[in-house]
Amino acid sequence: MTWSEIQPLLTQGFWDTLYMVGWSALVALLGGLPLGVLLVLTDKGGMLHNAPVNKVVGAVVNVGRSLPFIILLIALIPFTRLVVGQSVGSTAAIVPLAIGAIPFFARLVETAVREVDRGLVEAVQAMGGGTPTVVFKALLPQALPSLVAGLTTTVIVLIGYSAMAGTVGGGGLGSVAVQYGYQRFETSVMVATVVALIVIVTAVQLIGDAVVRLLTAGRGGEGAAGRWPARLGRGRTVGVAAAVVVPLALIGYGVGQGGEDKQTLTIAASPTPHAEILEYVEKNLAEKEGLKLDIRKFNDYVVPNTATESGEVDANFFQHKPYLDDFNKKQHTHIEPVVNVELEPLGLYSKKEKSLKGIGSGDTVAVPNDSTNEGRSLHLLDEHGLIELKPGAGQEATLGDIADTKGLKFKELEAAAVPRALDDVDAAVVNGNYAVDAGLNPAKDALVAEEAKGNPYANFLAVKDGNQDDPRIKKLAKLLNSEQVKEFIQDKYQGAIEPVFGPVGS
Amino acid sequence: MITTKDLTKVYRTRDREVTALDGVDLHVHEGEVFGVVGQSGAGKSSLIRCVNLLERPTSGTVTVDGQELTALAGNGKRAGKELRAARGRIGMVFQHFNLLSSRSVLGNVELPLEILGHSGQERTRKAHELLDLVGLADKAKAYPAQLSGGQKQRVGIARALAGDPKVLLSDEATSALDPETTRSVLQLLRDLKEQLGLTVLLITHEMDVVKAVCDSAALMKNGRITESGTVPELLATPGSELARELFPVGGVPSAPGRTVVDVTFHGETTTEPVISKLSRTYNVDISILGAAMDTVAGKQVGRMRIELPGSFEDNVVPIGFLREQGLTVDVAAVARDDAPDTGKTDAADSAAGLVKEGAK
Ligand SMILES: Nc1ncnc2c1ncn2[C@@H]1O[C@H](COP(=O)(O)OP(=O)(O)OP(=O)(O)O)[C@@H](O)[C@H]1O
Ligand SMILES: [Mg+2]
Repeated sequence: MTWSEIQPLLTQGFWDTLYMVGWSALVALLGGLPLGVLLVLTDKGGMLHNAPVNKVVGAVVNVGRSLPFIILLIALIPFTRLVVGQSVGSTAAIVPLAIGAIPFFARLVETAVREVDRGLVEAVQAMGGGTPTVVFKALLPQALPSLVAGLTTTVIVLIGYSAMAGTVGGGGLGSVAVQYGYQRFETSVMVATVVALIVIVTAVQLIGDAVVRLLTAGRGGEGAAGRWPARLGRGRTVGVAAAVVVPLALIGYGVGQGGEDKQTLTIAASPTPHAEILEYVEKNLAEKEGLKLDIRKFNDYVVPNTATESGEVDANFFQHKPYLDDFNKKQHTHIEPVVNVELEPLGLYSKKEKSLKGIGSGDTVAVPNDSTNEGRSLHLLDEHGLIELKPGAGQEATLGDIADTKGLKFKELEAAAVPRALDDVDAAVVNGNYAVDAGLNPAKDALVAEEAKGNPYANFLAVKDGNQDDPRIKKLAKLLNSEQVKEFIQDKYQGAIEPVFGPVGS
Repeated sequence: MITTKDLTKVYRTRDREVTALDGVDLHVHEGEVFGVVGQSGAGKSSLIRCVNLLERPTSGTVTVDGQELTALAGNGKRAGKELRAARGRIGMVFQHFNLLSSRSVLGNVELPLEILGHSGQERTRKAHELLDLVGLADKAKAYPAQLSGGQKQRVGIARALAGDPKVLLSDEATSALDPETTRSVLQLLRDLKEQLGLTVLLITHEMDVVKAVCDSAALMKNGRITESGTVPELLATPGSELARELFPVGGVPSAPGRTVVDVTFHGETTTEPVISKLSRTYNVDISILGAAMDTVAGKQVGRMRIELPGSFEDNVVPIGFLREQGLTVDVAAVARDDAPDTGKTDAADSAAGLVKEGAK
């Protein structure tokens, strides 16, 4: 990719990251500060000594801290929906980010406040000050430099967490790196985002350190006597200005994002090729039909369906029939296909052999490990005589359904990771989109590939049952099956992805 | 002004109980500087912290300026509104100053005024006034980290005076200061007491502090007050440990068969004429072995160890003369033939103990 292509990705990613991290840090600050102070006050010897409260709060904080963020992200989806009315997008990512950061920051607050000399608490009490006075006039002002340092650390951790926000379509620099760098082998994008992240983290740290220095210098700390006080005023002004301007800017950005009108269709899609096809439609065809598309990119295969079910997005475009049937059954959802669009033919690739004949007894073949893709892969191998499946093996066939391996060994990997394994195995069955991302061409490079005709694995536009007749959906379905889209797919993917139009067979 | 009745404080830790105060009855009169001395762990800090209820006594009562503080509401470590208001009228000065490093000197003195609810302007005016009083008018804008120990303690004193207290509590306020600074801070306390009519309860382990500023003193041992009274009263008490510590006299007889007596001056008589009068009247050679004289509360007080020729029986008349002059005369153990040596060693040891304590 060229710089002109990377630059908008970076800009958007930067704003998304700033938006998510800014808000979640603010919430973590407001939530973690009282929790941390409470932990100190209710502890043994504290002013509000209360063992049960201390134990419960401590336990909650510890549980919050030990949960891996990605689990929190998924587990909190219902709560997120309750709070911000949606479970996908940058705004939705703020909820788990903030909840993850609150206990983290609370512990840092606790440590900072504990460091304040007990004598000061005593002095304020001796003046007739109550608990609020002690907290607001002694503990917090005294701990301020440590609190700022703690907040800096929290913001940096949040920047790290926000990389996972792509799971719920939150965007941000981290998910740009994952989407383009990891999944699509766009090393230049990955390098650019990583550099951008390093710059941001460094800047945050430097600003945090500078504020801490200003604060301590203002107090006539070591070696600063007489030199610094004059600058304190300026430091405070900058601090206050930043405290006011940054949240306002973030609010403005959030509001700007929220603007939606009736004709806008929100669609959840995988980045490649689904979102690209939709972007083509949006740029070239939708306008004329009076249609506006809001395309949300997801790296995950669960959230697009749950978001469609809950109505947060109007439609999705990323899956095929066997996957959807399984999903509807297991998750009790009611998603229905509308129209087929494309097929990413599964192919068998090898870096060692030039033709199918070279693959045989003793060779290792990598296959995706998820139920539908694995079954699909085994059926492909079966059709071409590399293995023999037991009679009646279904679409979700597994290694256990193989009647005769004909000497082949198998390695099961996550679908996205399979192309990376090509160097280590003799052959691999790779999904079309991942093959394209890895620079492979199903038409030219595959030893064998799936047939497009009558293939149940064609990807379609899907909606919640009952919305099939929404005029906007009908318009989009028509545009996705248009001659222009067909040409676009053929041109752009050169046979790697094939247009498969028409109603979805059952 | 400050009265405690049968004050007891028991600290309970998981595995044991420590009785820090064991039935303390303390009476501090209005307008006096009252010093409490005692070895480390005697319970001095516990006592002073119980006076403003920073530590809630296990039993007993505390009355300050006619108000029974122990009767005021408060549960556990939380103080009720009335108790907080009462604390606002009692100033407290700490060994380690306990100034907020996040506030300027002025800000530190304003803090109690903020708690008392004074308006901004009023606060600043009053804080400047207080800083003026302790001689730090020019340091208002400085931060505590930029001050010397003595200056910090002056700020601490200014802060303690913010609520116009009638009572000032001081726990080892000069222990972290060098002797020179200690003297000037004590002088300040003394001046403020005169100027503002303060009653001061101060804790110290330095006898010099008591000598320099205290009108009255008490000795604490194992959570109990073993001696208490005005300094002259203590001096007049035969065998007073405090008097001995305050005015230690040394010196051993120049030859056996002589009588050594310790003479205590309470401030009514002057030193020289009595001794020379004795010498002239009875024609005896008196040699002074050692003396510790000082001005306590404006009066000449102290003790002197003198040696008279001959045995105790030979000196009954001169000693009677000294007693007639209103002086306390103890026959020192060192010269008494019948006194066992251990008696002397005990006294010396305990004096040494206190000196060591003071050096800590
Ligand atoms: N919070 C506490 N918990 C448990 N024991 C305590 C506590 N505070 C004081 N003590 C104990 O009470 C006793 C008296 O302590 P206190 O601090 O009153 O002595 P002190 O006379 O002030 O000593 P120092 O001269 O060393 O300051 C000591 O044995 C001490 O260990
Ligand atoms: Mg003490």
